[in-house]
Amino acid sequence: MKKLLLILAFCTAMFAQVTKAVEVPYISYEIKMGKGFDEVNANCLMCHSFGYITNQGPQSRAFWKGKVDKMITHFKAPIAKGDAEIIVNYLAKHYGNGK
Amino acid sequence: MKRRDFFKTAAVVGVATVGSSAFGSNVAMREPIDSRTPQKINFPEKRPMITHSNRPPLLEAPRSTFSQVITPNDEFFVRWHLPDIPTFIDTDKYAIRITGNVAKPYELTLKELKEDFEQIEVTAVVQCGGNSRSAFVPITGGVQWGSGAMGCAKWKGVRLKDVLKRAGMKEGSHWVNFNGMEKPAYDKTPDFVRELNLDELNEDVMIAYQMNDEDLPYLNGFPTRLIVPGYYSDSWVKMIKDIVVTKDHTPLFFMDQAYRIAANATHGETPDHLAKMTKPITRMNIKSFIGFPDEGAEVEFQSQLVVRGVAFDGGIGIEKVLISLDNGKTWKEAMLGIDYGRYAYRAFRYSFRPNEKGNLSIMAKAIDHLGQEQPLAKDVPWDRGGYMFNGIDIVTIKIV
Repeated sequence: MKKLLLILAFCTAMFAQVTKAVEVPYISYEIKMGKGFDEVNANCLMCHSFGYITNQGPQSRAFWKGKVDKMITHFKAPIAKGDAEIIVNYLAKHYGNGK
Repeated sequence: MKRRDFFKTAAVVGVATVGSSAFGSNVAMREPIDSRTPQKINFPEKRPMITHSNRPPLLEAPRSTFSQVITPNDEFFVRWHLPDIPTFIDTDKYAIRITGNVAKPYELTLKELKEDFEQIEVTAVVQCGGNSRSAFVPITGGVQWGSGAMGCAKWKGVRLKDVLKRAGMKEGSHWVNFNGMEKPAYDKTPDFVRELNLDELNEDVMIAYQMNDEDLPYLNGFPTRLIVPGYYSDSWVKMIKDIVVTKDHTPLFFMDQAYRIAANATHGETPDHLAKMTKPITRMNIKSFIGFPDEGAEVEFQSQLVVRGVAFDGGIGIEKVLISLDNGKTWKEAMLGIDYGRYAYRAFRYSFRPNEKGNLSIMAKAIDHLGQEQPLAKDVPWDRGGYMFNGIDIVTIKIV
């Protein structure tokens, strides 16, 4: 019986992947609150975690505008024009380098 | 898998200041940020890793991982591009579609993959093109990886050439596209499709289903992954769904916009003078990394210290690894470990007794069979994407 259990354990280890539903942990990345957060929350989180924002390091307004434009142009994110501006302002304020 | 409701990211530290000119022309490359520690959270089949994002998952290995020549599966870095990765795959129904400019398009099941073709193994390094990106100043766009977006595994699978042969490529075929099963959140977002020229395919390019004698971990591409030894990981498509042979280059975001560098000899540029012509990143340059000791470690005066690490390149092979303990004035040869082939890590170790108390910087520099060597971090060319950093690694410890 012990042997059988061992074999079973071994098989599970070898074939545990995706043959059973896998759950990837949810992480709530700490992000700064402020004007524009709601728009960031509503638009950015659809495709990626806030890790993508906090991990970029402090960047210029031009950089953040370029990123938001890229999401709209290349990744086809349906971000309303007004929201895009608010998001850029938020990112430049909280994750900016003063330029 | 446990759910955590809150989680703190590692602070991005050590941001260097740049010149006052707009977006700075002062390129000031530095050592990458390798001081981050793994967060206390486990992703499927992974031990705690440096977690840049959970969706898509971006996991980095800490420095200590690189004191081993084969990277264990549960310490292997993870990088996906799109958020919706299947969480269940029926391995009896799973099949790769091979279509396009071929006489006999077909679906290849996992069973056929394992039984109908010659099975091969290769030990190869896979490294993100943006590995060590945090070394770039001015800071470039993209995940600010330390140096842990790389790993070396023994891959088992079949030659891509054999799989394509069965489909019977028609005349005029020049390109082959690969698409994985992960999906974007919006239908119109481009899929992560990568393209290789048929001229780039050698006997080593394979479709792998095993990694270090186990099934591929879910986050590393279960059940199959493209292996392109010597190339950066953007070409190593995971969870392969479609292979399409074409006559002409297909316009693709992830080939035409992302993962590109300046098309000049040094692949360098400056923020003020961006190169007009760019090209996809392909073959890896020479690099080494110290796995032990860790930055800031305290080591006893006159005790025996063994520095360990790994060195690799895009397939030329490592001739030697040199260690400097005097800020690069003099270099001594490290001992190299077993040769697992030209695409694998070459482990190195260097043993000595520190004979002075205080801070000690250990530098490692790899040299390939052609005599090419790693530059100092400050001499690595800057590029807007923060790709291909291969500066000499420096670990500073304290002798007490």
